[in-house]
Amino acid sequence: MQAQTPSDALMMPGGQICLAVSYSHDAWSQYWEGTLKRENGNIGTLTREMVMPMFALGITDRINLIAALPWMRTRASAGQMAGVNGLQDWGIWLKAQGFSVQAGPGRAEGFAALGFSAPASNYLSDYMPFSLGLGCPDLSLRGILKYELNGGAYLRGQAGFHYRGITTIERSYYFTTHGIYTDQVDVPNALSYGGALGTWMLKRSLRAEFSLDGLHTFGGFDIRRQDMGFPSNRMNLVQIGFRAQYYLPAVRGLGITAAASQVLAGRNAGQSSLLSGGLTWQFGVWK
Amino acid sequence: MRPLQYIILFSAALLCLLPACQPELPAFVPFEAYEYASLDQTGGTWKPVVLSSASQVGIPAPADAASPAFLAEVAEAKALSASLTPEQQEAIEYWGSNPLIRWNEIARDLAAKYNLPPAPNPDGTYGVPDPANPSQYPYFPFAHPPYACRMLAYWSVAQFDAMIAVWQYKYQFNRPAPFQADPSVEVHLPENQLPGYPSDGAAVAAVSKAVLSAMFPLEKEFIAAKAAEHLDALKRSGMQVQSDLTAGDSLGRAVAALVLARASSDGMRKAQTSRAISDSIRDAAQARLGWHWENLEDPVRPVGITPLFGKVRPWCIPSVEAVRPVPPPAPGSPEFEADAAELKEIAENLTAEQRRIANFWSDGIGTYTPPGHWNRRASEYMVQARFNPLRSARTFAYLNMAMMDAGISCWDAKYYYHYPRPSQAIPGFKTILGIPNFPSYTSGHSTFSAAAAAVLSHIFPQDAAAFEAWAEEAAMSRIYAGIHFRFDAEVGNDQGKQVAAYTIAKARLDGAE
Repeated sequence: MQAQTPSDALMMPGGQICLAVSYSHDAWSQYWEGTLKRENGNIGTLTREMVMPMFALGITDRINLIAALPWMRTRASAGQMAGVNGLQDWGIWLKAQGFSVQAGPGRAEGFAALGFSAPASNYLSDYMPFSLGLGCPDLSLRGILKYELNGGAYLRGQAGFHYRGITTIERSYYFTTHGIYTDQVDVPNALSYGGALGTWMLKRSLRAEFSLDGLHTFGGFDIRRQDMGFPSNRMNLVQIGFRAQYYLPAVRGLGITAAASQVLAGRNAGQSSLLSGGLTWQFGVWK
Repeated sequence: MRPLQYIILFSAALLCLLPACQPELPAFVPFEAYEYASLDQTGGTWKPVVLSSASQVGIPAPADAASPAFLAEVAEAKALSASLTPEQQEAIEYWGSNPLIRWNEIARDLAAKYNLPPAPNPDGTYGVPDPANPSQYPYFPFAHPPYACRMLAYWSVAQFDAMIAVWQYKYQFNRPAPFQADPSVEVHLPENQLPGYPSDGAAVAAVSKAVLSAMFPLEKEFIAAKAAEHLDALKRSGMQVQSDLTAGDSLGRAVAALVLARASSDGMRKAQTSRAISDSIRDAAQARLGWHWENLEDPVRPVGITPLFGKVRPWCIPSVEAVRPVPPPAPGSPEFEADAAELKEIAENLTAEQRRIANFWSDGIGTYTPPGHWNRRASEYMVQARFNPLRSARTFAYLNMAMMDAGISCWDAKYYYHYPRPSQAIPGFKTILGIPNFPSYTSGHSTFSAAAAAVLSHIFPQDAAAFEAWAEEAAMSRIYAGIHFRFDAEVGNDQGKQVAAYTIAKARLDGAE
């Protein structure tokens, strides 16, 4: 078992390392300008691709360290705006298991993850949706609860608060609901949350789950009619997803992952469809 | 402790501490109130722009400084300034000793707020902002660069003419301000020794209210509230009595009405043409030159921004033909190919510094446009030089007359030469900024900036090198962004200087130098 992401309920045993790399492709041709859903002939389909190497270490059975450094590329199928590419935000998370108790026909577990991410390059956060990210430091604290039946089916819920800092753009004035005379942009804090229903199969070599996830920002402003997106927009979304993870019986420690998700509703966000796939390789270092 | 407890404790500590690191983002540029470098006592003799003379608009003679009526007003001003709430104190500091700087900032903010192009309708057509029905989408105005430069020009000229009149009456009547009449009156601004009647600040507020309300009709209430706040701050400052404010207000309103009369007949009404006229301008260019510019948006915008802005009445240039640049190199010519190759080379190897410059001067949709950018810069210099309101109004007037004339002359060239943008002329070429909806040659950024730099260099000669360097940087920024060819930028820069020479010639003769 491995700590694949800071928001799942998996822990790697102490002394184990997991290296992972994933590729994701997400695209939208409609987006919400404030609450108005629209297309934009000067964007067409906006595609974002990401290659994300990840590293996870079981410090102990109950404390894991996770790090990631994604590379991204954006492009639009129409219009004159050039896409961009480069390193997005490096991130590091410390995840701990708080409790794990037998309860009824299964086991209840609780986790917390403290994370920090910040830009890994001088990418420009201005000119959304072409920009690679929000360009700000993000300190997050997440709680995760899971109840798993002895047979392998589980229910998981998680919620995390993101305390986001300032991003610097290359203009000394911008307009939100009023003019602001600086190149500093206060990126709104956010809550990300989700629930998942899944199960282990094939002697715990295959895991599959359905999820419903959301993002809710505190504050921020709506994109005005025919304006561009901006890092301090209110950015909300709800999406459904499916995820599977399979440990290849032939090669010890090697696993593959696949995921898909679809945004259902949003505000100042694109209606993304995402597909991703990845490889994981887990091995022991000590113990 | 258990691991989870560590995490929770550490996080709680961080989350409590971090908000303290978050700076408050400035919604205005603060500046310290100051003592004017000069009072320009003879300013009433300067030549106004629209008014026939400083005394074209009359005001009643004030009550005598020794009269009971005036002494009662002084007593009232004394009582008001003696007990200020923190908010009232803050408002006096906000408006400061030179409220033109603040009103210029408000004008720029309004330009930014209204600088959004109409969105397409579901059937692929576009609405046109209608001054007769401003609240119907697309809202009036669309404050694109021609609109913004013209708005700033009328605001500035009205302020300049009003300040000349204010100065003329201040020194004609020479009635003391309350703090001069009674040294026990508490003042909350530096003691600038201008006569009190009429109030320069009230005239500035009245002109701003009239001109900005005409230019941004949907903002009437916001502007009126700002003007009321400004007058309240003046009343409590210890610097003015009520009759100073009343006279300044009526003088400001009368001058603004005269200047706005010019605006109503300057040709702007016809600048945003019908599709038929726009097509005929394009076809004429095609027949004359063998090329034409096209809007490449989807859906296509059928008419570019203000095809007939070049026919709007200028302030200082004798005609657009007098400053019309030479024709651009034909697409496909060796000179064109060299500049096109340069753009491709830059786009492929854009440096961080080039990107920064392109963004710093981008001044595109949702911003106060290049004329606004130069007004902000000019404001900083005026504060630094401790200009009084009259001299500030003069600086804004020549700066913005030059930029409006630059815009008129640039738009004449744009639609006369109807030159394609790089994205149209170079197959597959992409830009890092949005492409404005008007032809390429010459560059508006370059023309506006060169004209602004020339006027500011005339006013602040010791800083001429810096202004010219910025104008060139603004011109280059469009090449870095892929919006313009080098010849658009360089010729635009020359054109802006030529236009400004006429403005500066006018400035030399107004009696202020």
